[in-house]
Amino acid sequence: MIRRTSLVAKWEAHVREPFPLLVRLSMNRIFHGTNGGEEEGLTISMGLLLALLAIPGGFVSIFLFDKYGSFLQWLRGQTNFDPLAAALPDEYFFIVLSMVVTGGIAVWWWDSIFPDRRDFTNLAHLPIPASRIFLANSVAILILTYVCAIDVNAASSILFPVIVGASQPKFSFMAQFAGVHALVVVLASIFSFFAVFATAGLLMLLLPYPLFRRISFYVRTLIATVLLATLSTSFAIPRMIRDLPRTSHSPLRFLPSAWFLGLCQLLRGRADRALAELGHVAMVALLSACAVAAAAYTLAYRRCFVRLSELADTPPGNLGTRTSWIFHLLDRLIFRTPFQRAGYRFVLKTLFRNEAHALALGGFLSLGVVFASQTLLSALNGKGISPLPTANELSIPLILGYCLLLGVRFVFDFPAYLQANWIFRFLLDGNIIYESIALARRVMLCFVAPWILLVAVPTYVYFWGWTIGFLHIGVLTLWLWLLTEVLLVDFHKLPFACAYPSFQPSAVVAMIAFVLGYFAFTAMTADLEAKALVSPGVGGVFLVISLGVWYTVYGIRRSVVGIDNHLMFEDAPARHFEFLHLSDDG
Amino acid sequence: MLQAIALTKYYASIPAVQNLTFDLKAGQILGCLGPNGSGKSTTVKMITGLLEPSRGRVLFRGEDIRRDLVGFRKNLGYVPEEPNLYPYLSGREYLEMVGILRGIPQSRLGKKVDSLLALLSLHPSRHSAIASYSKGMRQRVLLIAALLDDPEVLILDEPLSGLDVSSAMVLKNLIRALGQQGKAIFYCSHVLEVVERVCSHLLILRQGTVLASGPTGDIQKRIGHASLEGTFHHLVEDVDPDKVTREILDIIRAA
Ligand SMILES: Nc1ncnc2c1ncn2[C@@H]1O[C@H](COP(=O)(O)OP(=O)(O)OP(=O)(O)O)[C@@H](O)[C@H]1O
Ligand SMILES: [Mg+2]
Repeated sequence: MIRRTSLVAKWEAHVREPFPLLVRLSMNRIFHGTNGGEEEGLTISMGLLLALLAIPGGFVSIFLFDKYGSFLQWLRGQTNFDPLAAALPDEYFFIVLSMVVTGGIAVWWWDSIFPDRRDFTNLAHLPIPASRIFLANSVAILILTYVCAIDVNAASSILFPVIVGASQPKFSFMAQFAGVHALVVVLASIFSFFAVFATAGLLMLLLPYPLFRRISFYVRTLIATVLLATLSTSFAIPRMIRDLPRTSHSPLRFLPSAWFLGLCQLLRGRADRALAELGHVAMVALLSACAVAAAAYTLAYRRCFVRLSELADTPPGNLGTRTSWIFHLLDRLIFRTPFQRAGYRFVLKTLFRNEAHALALGGFLSLGVVFASQTLLSALNGKGISPLPTANELSIPLILGYCLLLGVRFVFDFPAYLQANWIFRFLLDGNIIYESIALARRVMLCFVAPWILLVAVPTYVYFWGWTIGFLHIGVLTLWLWLLTEVLLVDFHKLPFACAYPSFQPSAVVAMIAFVLGYFAFTAMTADLEAKALVSPGVGGVFLVISLGVWYTVYGIRRSVVGIDNHLMFEDAPARHFEFLHLSDDG
Repeated sequence: MLQAIALTKYYASIPAVQNLTFDLKAGQILGCLGPNGSGKSTTVKMITGLLEPSRGRVLFRGEDIRRDLVGFRKNLGYVPEEPNLYPYLSGREYLEMVGILRGIPQSRLGKKVDSLLALLSLHPSRHSAIASYSKGMRQRVLLIAALLDDPEVLILDEPLSGLDVSSAMVLKNLIRALGQQGKAIFYCSHVLEVVERVCSHLLILRQGTVLASGPTGDIQKRIGHASLEGTFHHLVEDVDPDKVTREILDIIRAA
């Protein structure tokens, strides 16, 4: 007992020493972003993040129970079952998953790996050697990298080997399988992490700082898109890997996830020559990613941190009057009341000048692009253009519209710089909730309307003629409008100006709703439309559905506004009881 | 014009302001004084309608401000204690947003904002992000935002903080001139000289309660001190600065 308390005391004393303190400071910053706490919107606690990161791996493993279970039943009586060969596609998927998740985290932390201005003002004048701060920051990055890499892969490293090994009599098989799997996925994670950091560091090193700030948003969106595309094509790759020995110039040689599958097979002793080559590439790539990241980080650190106080912390995007004609045009055409005019300027500028918000929207957009291009590929799949469009061909703009609208609606909920929202509390009051819905609706439609008019109309008219083109655009417009109304059904806020409750138990529900809504909105609509083109009577269903949706939205909104027609600035979770103001007179 | 009646605010059962009553008439400049944490900002937030009082009422032209907050705020200019502005907007964009929300016609707004920015020497940096502004520059943006629509009531919570000498002089003259034009002004500050010179009336708070209120001259006469500084110390009996200084020095020097 005494021993334990003294150990605890020692630990506590150690944590309060300068160096661990600096490390903790750095970890805090990396975690909460450079605005740390000021930006109340998009920060979550370490525990929650670790839980969220572990979920995908666990989820996918649990799905596999079913696959391997029925596999076993089917295989009963078969003697030459090779579990390693059967597990190859799943192994590949786990590698991709771990790379995508950790790569995503690295993209998210892009800006915060370096000490920021606040660190500078708080630490630079203290008597600590600069090298100490640098070292502490490096240690913090390493700790977080390894914690994340292990956390992301923890569930799959336990569950997947158990599921695969269940068919084998020997325990040693399972242990060996688990060891190799865990090692490879963690290495893949680390590679992905450091590859992104190396990119950030190199860009920072090679470009002038303001330019780096300006383009880093685009680079981050691009990396996120590539990661998502890797994930969504992962089902096609294992077949290509089996054909690898027979193809001389396979594109797989350029695919990092394939390198790590090669490494995995190499460690299992199951690699042919081509796969073994990929495995060696994996090792070289891992080492060079770490080395480049370390070098670029060190040099960029020297260059930037020391001059941090001179560099203006300007937000991305250019300020000034160059874009003002757009606003004047929109004033004329769409936004007619003063509230809306002030509101959409605020909303657009907030959206594009806050990297976290822009990035979240970019994520939704790249999700849309990935899904849409996949659908396009399977629509084209070797066939020419038929006289009537297929469901796949019809669904492409629906997919893009769905992802964009949900993205915009999603980011509306995250506040930007809440301390400044007093100006709205002060200026806006009274029942302008309909105005705020109108504002949000118009902004959302502004995001989808232009490309419908400029891209979708010409495309459909060109390939299928005026009638089908305009029918489809009609349905598309109606559907996007209805979706907007549904998303805004009880919208009570000004976008970005409302505090968000820190824990959202509804996040899981929202995720499920997103997936179900996706299928209803894109696949089912397009199917129905394709049928309606053959037998026009089916078209009546559209009318019935839209009237139903519109009536429901209208009803809900009326009842909501009936209860409270004020704008909300604090989205508190519903209170379970209200205080009775008994002491108040009257 | 603006009346507070028995205003009381509890933060989780801890009283921040208790039974505060005053009457601010057109043309009066009411200086609100008090040590840190005495409830000045809390009072300001209540009389701007940003914070709901636990008890008591605020009347504007005889009517409870909660009846018609929008109408009240049309006539109100407010400079908050902390210059929290959207850092990624430029000064001009921020002021334009405020102007549009206040319903100033856009044809007049641009010119008005530009002239005010120029007069407060913000013109060169009007297109830079507020993030790159210094404290005083932010404070000036806040001042312009408060004055933009020529309000009847001005509520200023430490408006001089961070301002340089000449801007501070402009502001002091401006406040006096606005008072002479018949605006009602509520002015919180720690700078006694300014309050003494600018304010026609005083409201002195300590720990959320009113120690003294009335015309500046009357209070000074009653206490019998020639300077406001003497009056303030007499009333607040805060701390003995010399003694505290000595003790701080002793502690620092002790190894
Ligand atoms: N949000 C809050 N929650 C709890 N207590 C608060 C809150 N805001 C203020 N207080 C308390 O109310 C009291 C009055 O605070 P207030 O900000 O009004 O003081 P002040 O006179 O403006 O001080 P200063 O001169 O430092 O600006 C203080 O004791 C403070 O601790
Ligand atoms: Mg205060």
